[in-house]
Amino acid sequence: MFAVMKKELKSYLLSPIGYVFIGIFLLLFSVFFYISIFSYQSMNFEYLFYNGATILTFVAPVLTMGMFAAERKSGTEQLILTSPRSLTAIVLGKMLAAGIILVVTEALTLIYFAILDYFGDPSFKVAITTLLGFLLLSFAYLSFGMFASSITESQIVAYFITTGVFLLMWFLPDMASSLEMFSLISMFNKFPEGLISVSEIITYVSFSVLFILLTIIVLQRRKSVK
Amino acid sequence: MIEVKNVTKRYGDFFAVRNINFEIKEGEIVGFLGRNGAGKSTTMNMITGFIEPTSGQITVGGFDVDKKPKKVKRQIGYMPEGTPLYSDLTVKEFVNYMADLKMISGKEKKAAVEKAIKSTGLESVQNNLTKILSRGYKQRVSMAGAIVGDPKILILDEPTVGLDPKQVIEIRELIKSFGKNHTVILSSHILSEVSQICEKVIIIDKGEIVAVDTPENLEKLSEKDQVITVVVEETNEKQLSSIKDEIEAIKEVAFVEKKEDGSKEYNIVTQNGEDIRKQISTTCAKSNIIILEMKQQETSLEDAFVKLIENRPEYSQKEIKKMQYQKEIQDLREEHEAKKEQKQAKKEEKAAKKAKKEGGNE
Repeated sequence: MFAVMKKELKSYLLSPIGYVFIGIFLLLFSVFFYISIFSYQSMNFEYLFYNGATILTFVAPVLTMGMFAAERKSGTEQLILTSPRSLTAIVLGKMLAAGIILVVTEALTLIYFAILDYFGDPSFKVAITTLLGFLLLSFAYLSFGMFASSITESQIVAYFITTGVFLLMWFLPDMASSLEMFSLISMFNKFPEGLISVSEIITYVSFSVLFILLTIIVLQRRKSVK
Repeated sequence: MIEVKNVTKRYGDFFAVRNINFEIKEGEIVGFLGRNGAGKSTTMNMITGFIEPTSGQITVGGFDVDKKPKKVKRQIGYMPEGTPLYSDLTVKEFVNYMADLKMISGKEKKAAVEKAIKSTGLESVQNNLTKILSRGYKQRVSMAGAIVGDPKILILDEPTVGLDPKQVIEIRELIKSFGKNHTVILSSHILSEVSQICEKVIIIDKGEIVAVDTPENLEKLSEKDQVITVVVEETNEKQLSSIKDEIEAIKEVAFVEKKEDGSKEYNIVTQNGEDIRKQISTTCAKSNIIILEMKQQETSLEDAFVKLIENRPEYSQKEIKKMQYQKEIQDLREEHEAKKEQKQAKKEEKAAKKAKKEGGNE
C-alpha cells in the first residue's frame, strides 16, 4: 500500500497536478476570504468552508480523474495489476496519496484562521469540527472520483462524471426536501455550526468505503471482460 | 514450470484463444510465434493473471493462477506489449517502483535495482526521465522493470517491435543472456528472431496452437519437398525433363521461365529431402545438357510457418460455436455418466452391506 502511495504522491508533485490542486484551491479560497471580510464584514472562519465545499466540487476530481483512467490509457495498468500487490493495496495506496494532498491543503487553510485570530477571536473548537467535516466530505469526494476513474480510460470523462454527480447532489435539496438526505453537501452544513453529528460521520465514512469497494470490484471484474 | 490446460478465452462469440494446451519446463526459452491477432498476447496476459480465461486452468510453478495469484505473480517478470512506462519518473525511479511493487524488501532493493539497471545497460541514462528516451532505451527500461528482483520466469511481449536493426540485435543478446538463468517466454511475429533465440517454438494461429517443437524440427517439416533450381542451356525442352526417368528421387521437373539469353530455368522437386545435386550434374553431363547455374532452395522456419498455417481448415464462427457446444454437451454427458456410475456403486455397496447385516442376524 505504501509503495503505491509513495509513487502516486511523487507523481502528484512531479506532474504539476498536486501543485495545481493546492494552488487553485487556496487561490479561490483566498478570494472568498477577501470577499467575506471586505464585502460582508464577516470574521467567520468556519463559514468559509461552505465556499470551500463549492470549490472542492470542481477541483477534487482533478486529483482523482487520472488515478486509473490514465494508467489504463498508457498501459501501465498492466504493470500494477500483474504485480504481486493486492488490488486493495493498490486502491488504498492511490486513495491515501490523494488524501495526503488534501490534508496538506486543509492544513494550509489554517493560515486564514491565524490571520483572523490576530485581529479577532474565532473559536478554535468550531474551526476543528469544521475541518473534520470538510475532511470527511473530501474523502467521500475522492472515493467517488476514484470510482469514476476506474470505469473509463478517459480522464475527461472521469472528471465530468465526478463533477456532474457532485453538482446533482448539490441541487438535490432544492428539488425536494426529502432528497436532502442524499446530499453530501447539505450534510456538511452541521459541522460549521460546531456540531459533530454521528449520523453524518457514519454516512460519509460508509459512502467512502462503498466507493472504495466498488472500485476494487470494478478492477476485479475487468479481469474477466478485458 | 508453466502448464496451460484446455484454456479458452472468449469475448462474446469471438474466440481469442481456443482450447490451448502446452507445457513449458524450467530454464527453457520459448517463443510464441503467430500473426498479429493470433492470440499471443492474450495467452501471455492469462499466464500473468492480467486477464482471466473463460475456461481452463493455468498453473505456474505448481500454483494455480486463479487461486494463488500472489504466489504466481511473484515468480513472473512481465514486459507488456508497447512498453508502457510512467513518463514522469526517471529510469531509476521506475525500476525502483517496480521493485517496490514486487515486494522486494529495503535491503535487497538497492542491490536488485542496481543489478537490473546494469544488466540492461542503462547506467548512463538512469537519471533521465523515461519520456525523453529513445524507443530502444524505453524497451530496455521496460525490460529492467521485468527482471528486477530476478523472477524465475520472464514474459516478454514483442520485445523487439519498432526497433532499428542495431537495437534489435542488442535486445536479442540481452534476452539470450537472461535465458541462462531464467525461464523466458517471448512473443514475436518475426520468424528469424524466434529461430535465433528460442529453444522451443509454439506456433499459434487464430487462437489455436498449430505446432510445438524446436526450430530445427519445424524447419525439417518443410524440408520434405526439397526444391533445386537449375538454369540450363538447351534447345530442346524435353531434354531436361528426361532426367526424371534416370534419377529416382525426382518427383517433378517444372519449367519456370525462359531467360533473356536463351537459357531456361527449371525447378526440380525431390521426394524425400535427399541432396541429389551430384546426380543431376552427372546425369546432365551424360545427356549433354550444360548447367549454367544450380541452387538448392533453402528451407526456413518461414516455410514451415506458412505451411502450417495454410493447411489449416478455415472455420466460420458458426462452426466454431457448434464445436464448442458439442464439446460442452459431451462434457456434460461424461459428467452424467460418472455420476450414474457413482450412484450405482453406492447402491451396490449398500446392498452388499444389507446382505451382510441380514446374514449376521441369521
